[in-house]
Amino acid sequence: MKSVKLTLLATTVAVAFGGTLASAQDFKKYGIDKDVPGLCSYDSISKKDYKGRTLSIITHAVPVMGEPTDLHAKQFEELTGAKVNVVHVPFGDLFQRIMIPFQTGQNAYDVLFYGSHWIGDFHNYLAPVPKAYFNAPGMKDVTLNYRGVATWGNEMVQYPVDGDRHYLKYRKDVFDNADYQKKFKEKTGHDLAVPKTWEEYDEVANFFNNWDWAGDGKPHFGSAEVTKRDDLMFSAFISRAAAYAKNPNVKGGFFFDLKTMEPLINTPGFVKALEMFVKAKRYFPPGGDSFGLGDEIFSFGGGQTLMSYSWDDAFIQAMEEKSPIRNKVGAAPLPGSHEVWNRNTKKWDKFATPSTAPYITWGWTSAVAKASKNKDMAFDYLCFFSNEANALHDLQIGRFGVNPYRNAHFTVSFWTDKLGWDKSVATQYVNTLSGMDKSKNRVFDLRVPGVNQFMTSMAAGVAEAMAGQKSPQQALDGVAKEWNQIVARIGKDKVREAYANVVALEDNK
Amino acid sequence: MSVDRGKLVFVLPGLIVLVAIILFPLLFTIRVSLSSWDVAQPGLDWIGVTNYLRLAEDTRFWESFGRLALMALGSVALQYLLGFGLALLVWRDMRAGRFFRVLFLIPMMTTPVIMAVIWRTVFHESLGPANDVLRLLGMASLPWLSQAGLAMTSVIIVEVWQWTPFMFLMLLAGLLSLPREPFLAAAIDGAGPIRTFLRVTFPMIAPISIGAIIIRLIEASKIMDTVYVITSGGPGTATETSSYYIFIRGLRDFQIGYAASLSFTYLVIMAISLTIIAKVLARAMIVKDRAA
Amino acid sequence: MSALYRALKYAAILLWSAFVIAPFLWALTTSFKTANGITGGPTYIPWLQYEPSLEGWRLLFRSGGGGIAIGGPYLSSLVVTISASLISLVLGTLAAYGLSRFTYRAGFVRNADITFFFISQRIMPPVVLAIPFFLMLQFLGLLDTEVGLIIVYIALLMPIAVWVMVDFFNTVPRELDESAMLDGCSPFEAFWRVILPNSKPGLVVAGLFCLIFGWNDFFFAFTLTFTQTQLLPVAIVALNSSVTPWWSLSAAALVSVAPLVVVAFVLESYLSRGNLAGAVR
Repeated sequence: MKSVKLTLLATTVAVAFGGTLASAQDFKKYGIDKDVPGLCSYDSISKKDYKGRTLSIITHAVPVMGEPTDLHAKQFEELTGAKVNVVHVPFGDLFQRIMIPFQTGQNAYDVLFYGSHWIGDFHNYLAPVPKAYFNAPGMKDVTLNYRGVATWGNEMVQYPVDGDRHYLKYRKDVFDNADYQKKFKEKTGHDLAVPKTWEEYDEVANFFNNWDWAGDGKPHFGSAEVTKRDDLMFSAFISRAAAYAKNPNVKGGFFFDLKTMEPLINTPGFVKALEMFVKAKRYFPPGGDSFGLGDEIFSFGGGQTLMSYSWDDAFIQAMEEKSPIRNKVGAAPLPGSHEVWNRNTKKWDKFATPSTAPYITWGWTSAVAKASKNKDMAFDYLCFFSNEANALHDLQIGRFGVNPYRNAHFTVSFWTDKLGWDKSVATQYVNTLSGMDKSKNRVFDLRVPGVNQFMTSMAAGVAEAMAGQKSPQQALDGVAKEWNQIVARIGKDKVREAYANVVALEDNK
Repeated sequence: MSVDRGKLVFVLPGLIVLVAIILFPLLFTIRVSLSSWDVAQPGLDWIGVTNYLRLAEDTRFWESFGRLALMALGSVALQYLLGFGLALLVWRDMRAGRFFRVLFLIPMMTTPVIMAVIWRTVFHESLGPANDVLRLLGMASLPWLSQAGLAMTSVIIVEVWQWTPFMFLMLLAGLLSLPREPFLAAAIDGAGPIRTFLRVTFPMIAPISIGAIIIRLIEASKIMDTVYVITSGGPGTATETSSYYIFIRGLRDFQIGYAASLSFTYLVIMAISLTIIAKVLARAMIVKDRAA
Repeated sequence: MSALYRALKYAAILLWSAFVIAPFLWALTTSFKTANGITGGPTYIPWLQYEPSLEGWRLLFRSGGGGIAIGGPYLSSLVVTISASLISLVLGTLAAYGLSRFTYRAGFVRNADITFFFISQRIMPPVVLAIPFFLMLQFLGLLDTEVGLIIVYIALLMPIAVWVMVDFFNTVPRELDESAMLDGCSPFEAFWRVILPNSKPGLVVAGLFCLIFGWNDFFFAFTLTFTQTQLLPVAIVALNSSVTPWWSLSAAALVSVAPLVVVAFVLESYLSRGNLAGAVR
């Protein structure tokens, strides 16, 4: 009797011990620090058997988002026996490659990676995230912002795998330079400081334009901005317009007045922003009038310009190991404005402390197609892609394009220990990013059906003003007229219903 | 086998295959132009000629034709002159002729969508060699992509680089297949090189010239990838050609119905214009033919 | 031939050659750069002006790890392009001969109209053809297959073959066929034995154009495939991420033009072999 109990005890202990040993050693070879237990940990996924089944994924070009998709696809194959096919598409062509199969009823892809602002167009074709994944601790730790971005109405139809925002990036070494501070004070009468308003941005950029403040024998310039018309210029304009047009005291719409669906794009807030944008041309580097995102990354990340404001990429590029300006850059919230247009009183509201409106810009998101026959595999893949261990790993590789989106990601020690960033740089970075989450005066993209039509119309108008073909007011009046036509074509109620979701996000209810 | 039956054997297979493949797409395009297929409402509903009425007032569309004409006619004219000149230089009496003939063909073989990226790096005003070379020659940097006229010039330069070989090849092959006798006759008449060219070479090669020009005009008008990558239609709308505008409306905005109506209108305008151009060219080139 | 003329002639040729080669040299040197070699301004000489790296080239052959594997797409492109070009050339040349030699009439439609119909297929901007071709291949179950692409390419390439060959057949004097037929040949025999051998330059041109337009098409290869079939231009463009990879795209441009250069080299001899005017000064 005793011997049986003993054997049983011994066996149980051996199995438990052996089991833990086995799972503890298996997964480090995948490059992660340690597998965090959960619904889609390495351990859980390795227990799934998808042998004989194929998963189709469409994602962005390598490496941004494309490379981690490949990496985790390969891991998923090894762990579950599934076959995973991944296809990579440049951003400019991604929408059509996803939408044509959707609209023609062709079941082409199970998993999709794309820009989160297309949710208005895609949501009918997406499968809602099942409860089990929705309630997983990894999902619960995603910040409110990014869970909001993934939600349509009451359902989460996109799967958060990344978090994006626009923020100000600047050359810390230049701002800290005592000699330049003196010269700046002499010329302008105020201290050199990180711009808190767009007017300050204008002044600083203009001062540091077209001379060699980096000491390498080449002229350097004030600001690198994304200005290529049908590229991502629309987001650059929204960044500039947010502070002037998003009034913390006036709720109910930024692009449209939610009640009447009247476009606000030609109201004085936006017009002022466009005027500032046109004025900014004088401190662009050569060619800066038609910079795509890639050019902006090379320009700021390569040390040519003093400041920039857009996604994380340029900052990450600057902080790369071999970068000549590593640890010389700083992060700050987007500039604000002392004056914000109030559309109710038709006057400019004045703020002693500049009012800011963080732009929670679109970024990479993922989803599962409603028509997919492999939804179980698809959600497992996405959950695995973004499990805690993988996310921490992906955050460390700049070119992956995965940026912080969980509360756990906003810890300074992660950036200093893992990536060797200077403490001051890391602290600024973390504070800037997490601060945006807390704001009650935020701007999101126009996440409605037909978003591309509104944005190409806006970009065309902005481009005409930038090229001097029209005045800012004229250009934006033209855009407002087109927007009315687009709303009429798509259906006012449809757009209003969708826009109501956006407004709820912005007002941070 | 009678000539009558025989002649059908030649043209029918190709015609039938072609019609079989493009019949549905053509009819579909016409049908969808009469619908409001859009990003938010896919499907073929019926709205009659609403799209066509809309495009009649679309100033951006009509303005794009002006730019298209400038870009297409300008670049094709240059391609023709250069291509013809090069063909005349290398078709005979040429050391290392083979090497040069193959070399001159290579630009046409590059993939436009990839080559456009390379050209953008060339014209990049801060990081590209174009301005660097200008500086070396003592000239000022040019805003290749930021100024309307120069942006158009950049696009034309790319087109000329890529497609002059097309003209070159057509005309070279044409020259090489001309019969000998008229040249011998002219030589006997004591004609010098210029007179031979004007009276013999040029008129005999006129049909091929016209064919090459028409094909190139058709292709040049469809230019899309190059404009998208290099200038994105900018600055402002300075390099926005009709086909680029149709691309924006069709696949960016996803206004499928409207884009179809734009395309159909574009097709009709192009067909008419090309017929006129072909007739004008025939008149201009063949009228020089005196010795039939 | 005066010395001045010769000097000018070779000067012009060399000038144009420099213009032709320059972008390729730039692509070659850029293919060995990394981001640091670019952001400082244009650089040309490795080791002297920038740190060379093989990363641009490696990215073309490594699947995963931030790269793509172009082997498979290379093969797919070869299969699709060659098949479509051959079929287009055959059908197109036959049709062109008919249009050049015979008179067709169906109602008010004449030769010139039929010829124009062929070439007018090239006028339509590809954008609007995306969805109908998609629907058509979907109906036939040929989406994401090489066969589907070949069918679409035939419709795209045949017009070029027809248009080029009509022009070339028109320059071959009718007397040749007529005398052949007087000798007792059927029209087809006249075509096959007499006219075709005299049209080698035209065939070279038409064939080359078909291969080039087919090999370099991006739009249809992109729209009509998903994950199973991938042609070369689509595979290469998969590298074009937010940070534009000057290096790998430069390498890719060089790699994708290579096979066509080989073809041009081979076919060029056929071009000059049919040379009838070689001895004329």
